[in-house]
Amino acid sequence: MSFSDLLLQQTINGLSLGAMYALLALGFTLVYGILELINFAHFNVFMVGSFIGMWTLQLMGINGQAVIMTGLPLIGVMVVALVVTMLSSGLLGVLIERLSLRPLRDVKGPAAMITTIGVSYVLFNIILLTVGADSKNYPNPLPPIQFAIGDAVLRLREILIWMIAILLMLGLHFFVQRSKMGKAMRATAQDPEAARMMGVEVDRVIIIAFFLGSALAGAGGLIFGLYYNFTSFIIGFTAGLRAFTAAVLGGIGNVPGAMLGGVIIGLIEAMGGQFIATAWTDVIIFSILVLVLVFRPAGLLGRVAPNKS
Amino acid sequence: MSRLFARVSLARRHQILTLLVAAAAIAFPLVHDNDADVDSAANAAAYATLALGLNIVVGFAGLLDLGYAAFFAIGAYAYGILTSFQVMPHWGPLWEPFAWLQLVQRVPQPGGDLVRFTVSFWIMLPVSALIAAGFGVLFGAPTLRLRGDYLAIVTLGFGEIVPIVVRNVDSVTNGAAGLNGIQAPRLFGHSFGVAAWPYYYVAIALVALLIFVSVRLRDSRIGRAWMAIREDETAAAAMGVDRTRTKLLAFAIGAAFAGATGTFYVAKLQTATPEMFGFPVSVMILVMVVLGGMGSVWGVVVGAVLLQLLQSWFLEDISGWIHDLGNAINQPWMQQVDLTQSIELIFGQILVFMMLFRRDGLIPATRKQSSLSVEQQHADVRRGGFVGLEGLGEFAHQGHSGLEVSGVTVRYGGLVALNAIDLSVPVGGVVAVIGPNGSGKSTLFNVITGLTPADGGAIRFDGDGLLGLPPHAILRRGVARTFQNIRLFTNLSVLDNVLIGQHARLKTGPIAAVFRPPSTRREEAAARVWASQILGLFGNRLLPRASQTVSHLSYANRRRVEIARALASRPKILLLDEPTAGMNPAETLELAEQIKSLHALGLTILLIEHKLDVVTRLADKVVVLDHGEKIAEGTPDEVRRNEAVLQAYLGRGTLAKGMVDA
Amino acid sequence: MNNRPFTRRTAVGIAAGVVAAGTLGIRRVWAADKSVTVGINLSLTGADAESARRIENGATMAFDEANAKGGINGYKIVVTPFDDGSATAGQYDPAQAATNARKMVSNKATVAAIGPQMSGAGKAMAPILSEGNLAIITPSSTNPDITDPKFAAQYRPEGKAIYFRTVATDAFQGPYMANYYADVLHVKSVYLLDDSGAYGVGLADAYQGQAEKKGIKILGRDRLDPKAADYSTVLTKIKSLNPQAIYYGGVLQAGVKLAKQAYDIVPKMIKGGGDGVYGPEMLTAVGYPANEGWYATVASPHVTEEAKMAAWVKSYKTKYNVDPDDYAVTAYDAAMVILAALKQVTDGGKEPTRDAIRDAIQAVKVNTLQGPVSFDANGDLQDKTISVFQIKQNKDITPGDMANYHYIGVAPSV
Repeated sequence: MSFSDLLLQQTINGLSLGAMYALLALGFTLVYGILELINFAHFNVFMVGSFIGMWTLQLMGINGQAVIMTGLPLIGVMVVALVVTMLSSGLLGVLIERLSLRPLRDVKGPAAMITTIGVSYVLFNIILLTVGADSKNYPNPLPPIQFAIGDAVLRLREILIWMIAILLMLGLHFFVQRSKMGKAMRATAQDPEAARMMGVEVDRVIIIAFFLGSALAGAGGLIFGLYYNFTSFIIGFTAGLRAFTAAVLGGIGNVPGAMLGGVIIGLIEAMGGQFIATAWTDVIIFSILVLVLVFRPAGLLGRVAPNKS
Repeated sequence: MSRLFARVSLARRHQILTLLVAAAAIAFPLVHDNDADVDSAANAAAYATLALGLNIVVGFAGLLDLGYAAFFAIGAYAYGILTSFQVMPHWGPLWEPFAWLQLVQRVPQPGGDLVRFTVSFWIMLPVSALIAAGFGVLFGAPTLRLRGDYLAIVTLGFGEIVPIVVRNVDSVTNGAAGLNGIQAPRLFGHSFGVAAWPYYYVAIALVALLIFVSVRLRDSRIGRAWMAIREDETAAAAMGVDRTRTKLLAFAIGAAFAGATGTFYVAKLQTATPEMFGFPVSVMILVMVVLGGMGSVWGVVVGAVLLQLLQSWFLEDISGWIHDLGNAINQPWMQQVDLTQSIELIFGQILVFMMLFRRDGLIPATRKQSSLSVEQQHADVRRGGFVGLEGLGEFAHQGHSGLEVSGVTVRYGGLVALNAIDLSVPVGGVVAVIGPNGSGKSTLFNVITGLTPADGGAIRFDGDGLLGLPPHAILRRGVARTFQNIRLFTNLSVLDNVLIGQHARLKTGPIAAVFRPPSTRREEAAARVWASQILGLFGNRLLPRASQTVSHLSYANRRRVEIARALASRPKILLLDEPTAGMNPAETLELAEQIKSLHALGLTILLIEHKLDVVTRLADKVVVLDHGEKIAEGTPDEVRRNEAVLQAYLGRGTLAKGMVDA
Repeated sequence: MNNRPFTRRTAVGIAAGVVAAGTLGIRRVWAADKSVTVGINLSLTGADAESARRIENGATMAFDEANAKGGINGYKIVVTPFDDGSATAGQYDPAQAATNARKMVSNKATVAAIGPQMSGAGKAMAPILSEGNLAIITPSSTNPDITDPKFAAQYRPEGKAIYFRTVATDAFQGPYMANYYADVLHVKSVYLLDDSGAYGVGLADAYQGQAEKKGIKILGRDRLDPKAADYSTVLTKIKSLNPQAIYYGGVLQAGVKLAKQAYDIVPKMIKGGGDGVYGPEMLTAVGYPANEGWYATVASPHVTEEAKMAAWVKSYKTKYNVDPDDYAVTAYDAAMVILAALKQVTDGGKEPTRDAIRDAIQAVKVNTLQGPVSFDANGDLQDKTISVFQIKQNKDITPGDMANYHYIGVAPSV
């Protein structure tokens, strides 16, 4: 394997990771942009999403990697799985907001953040106690198509994960930039009080933000399962933490920033593993987080946030 | 009997309760001869010390630290490495003095003698605390100037990194396999060995010590500064609290508690692995603090003990009862019930339910009863017409120069909030700034007090440049302010608010706060006398309410407390942002008289006010802002006749009430 | 007004105190008069709970069988389970393990113990058990430090061995597999991976030492984060270095993901690990054909296929409704050792004291499921057999059946 092929392969690996982190980072960014809240429950909404995707696929009769589909049936199955997963995860996010976060909306300090940690623990343990601790073989109907570029390999599932990620992110971007609700969201992010006075229903904006963020996390969970052919109760933590780092790196509260941050973190993980050692991956990623926060707290693409406190 | 108890004063009751708890803790291993239960209790006590440490960070200072276990690990490994066979450098003459101090031993080896570290447990206890505090400063310094929620994620990151590093540098830590051969502590030549009771007594002594330290810190200048930051960071800075240093201090002291506990814990276990210090440990300690009550010293101890015993005793026993019951009534499915499995679920639920329904925890932090002594109650009470108070207004009589704002510009993105504003407030003068909403008045205050950076220009006070200084340094130079939307420390008492106003004028550091030498006692007593004198300026409005929480006060009284808080800092110039907003005419008149009186004492005042009658009554000079531009300046009469001013107010259709009333 | 809540609270407090005191006392009265107690300490909470259950079942099964036959010379065996896993740690917690060791020691009726599951717990328990002279037999903890004479002062301060194993240590499993790679598979170059855990790192270290001696070229070594999902980076790196084989020291949390992704990226490479990759998850969660070809070792002679075993596996499965793994077997064997020691002591009419039982265990020669078991002076198995398996799907049985691990033979000793 030549060095350039190796680099290409690691870039492909990094981009796939990055696409997943970016989808997760968007959820953090949406909620943080509006509520200035780090939503730790998001970690495990992603995890639950991957299980919902798994059950959906299993209900459609797909088990393990034995059933392989092509053409329209494949697209149909994928669309159904994606829609069901996103809707359910989105509703889960809305439920979390309504039950545990809305009562704390006006409470200062770390109360809301602590609540999201609690919710995260509850989700995590519900899955652990009901589904069990063992890893699950993920149903996957994708045909094992792959393209060789020199010694590097590009697989269908990589193309798929990029496509889905890009489509969802573009959709979100246009939603936030163009739609009326998107404008209301941006207004609320800037100044909730002023937005309320201008007739924006802040409660609705927050619910939409949670719905969209959680739905994207659910999509991320499904893609995760399809990409790795596995899921488990434990997947939320590491992925969530890296995705959050991606959001901060790109500029938290900033949608294109989250995408950029995700891709950068994915590439750092791949190249760090190649050229340094996987044992130090987390150390590298967190050092970057700290450096960004110290030297460029607004992130790569972030506006300089007025320090409201 | 309970009637008898009710007659005893609250403070005495607390004392009796403390003594009873202490006696029970000391007697426990003597009356309960079960090594395992004593061991469980020692573990619970170790967690209580961790909870006390995290309480300083989360409870007192309001900083969410999710990587607290990292400091626990650092303390544990510091002791583990310095008392085991893990690191053995070659012997050299350099080691001789250390050997004499019994910190190292010379180990004869065929290939050259080696050094073995044998640092005593009792030395390592404070040393580990210092090492952990050092790491606390190292981790905290880059991030503590950021918003609190970033801190949570960065500490979470550090909490992940520390065990990874411990695992990866296996030459020092023996990596994942864990340390071997850690020495048990020795006392008077006897090793603690494996019996549980010596560890138990060390643990409860540690708990007692850290409770003492926590209480002393809480009731000091340092503790007040932490709580001020927790309640409102910006206001705390404007009142002279150095945010970064104060937060860093909380972080370091919290880390020190964890470091000492780590040393104790690993000395007791005589082994340490990186897995012992992961994220679940940090969350567990957080659950203890949340359950007991954030900021409540006794609460977090109770929370820690409850959860630890729940884990190691109760859940197992309750599951056992269910199994026994299942045997008795022949229900085999009951054998499958195992509550210990679901304890993490219980933790998650505790976090959510406590936050939603009982944020103050099982034992809420008692509002400090800062009762005033009889002498303090009799401080002179005046309504306006104040005679000189020591330290207020003397500045004006000593020939200093006043506030000079020249060419100050502030931009928010494309919006110009202030455009090349010039303004001067002579010493002993009263200047009022008026203008429609959004004209840049509060921005002007923010830029003078360092809360908003300027994009150009200069601000000088008494000859010193203020631009670029942090807010607390500006207060130290004698510039104190109030806020338009009242930024008091709402969960603290009136007295505490006023005491925090004096923060910059007091000196007590963390060590003095714990040991309370006579100088500290005197300072604290003087601070309280001064506070009651300041409160006395407002007659009987505030004095009787001194120990009440600010959140219970009326709107007008909150305005007064905010002014009192600013005055407590012995300012040379007072910046009042709409002091009479929300007051009825009688209250407005009363406050105007009081402000006039302050002026008469010689205090320089810069005032934002909408009510023109107040402006006319008080101000020597009026400056009018509109759209960030200064459109007029002059005496109240001149300004009232100014065309541009009328245009600015009337032209917008927002008929300023004050203009018409006046 | 002030009085009522106070008294009510007092009453609740007293009630809670009485209840708490009661729980400590009452449950211990249950035991019959002629009985001995055996403690079982496993990580029943957290990451290793699944495996802990299988082990607990194996040991309990042996004692239940003995009790059903009227006990040993009239002595019934009372099993007291302990959980050293805690939510604080999310897995085994050494502090809880130490507490449990003290619980066992302070219960005078306890004469022997089984456990712990994990070596980290064993390190915290051993000194306390040594002080109490209580013998413990571990069916699964394989870190060599605890029985290493080098650390005798720490882990058995009283001198006598109290930490016995019915399983061979990593000091054998890794090196023997290195021999197998070199001598049987003729591997010339290998890439090493571990899963950051004490077990995995120790196993890979031991493998590495012997592999270097055998002249296998180590092309590199990397550490997997068991909580991370993506190992494609490191596998791509391995692909570019193109070693003949991979050896993985670790358990299935990372193992499952590694096996799946390795099948995608380096499908033809020889892949193997220790007993950490010997488990039903490797079959069901990885799935065929991704797991096929993987080598695994078990640190005991392989006997589960023999006729005697078939009956045992069947009765285990009917009783607990799960397949036994090899640690269920070693746990059953540990229980058999204790039963044999108890029999030996009481045959002579002696009181089954801790001392007597420990000495009997030290001297025991008993025919267990895995073959004849006896211990050396440190408590390690005399017979250090490492069995090698390879996964190959047998379509006649269920995919999760452990018989899909095909027994290949015994790894060459050092």
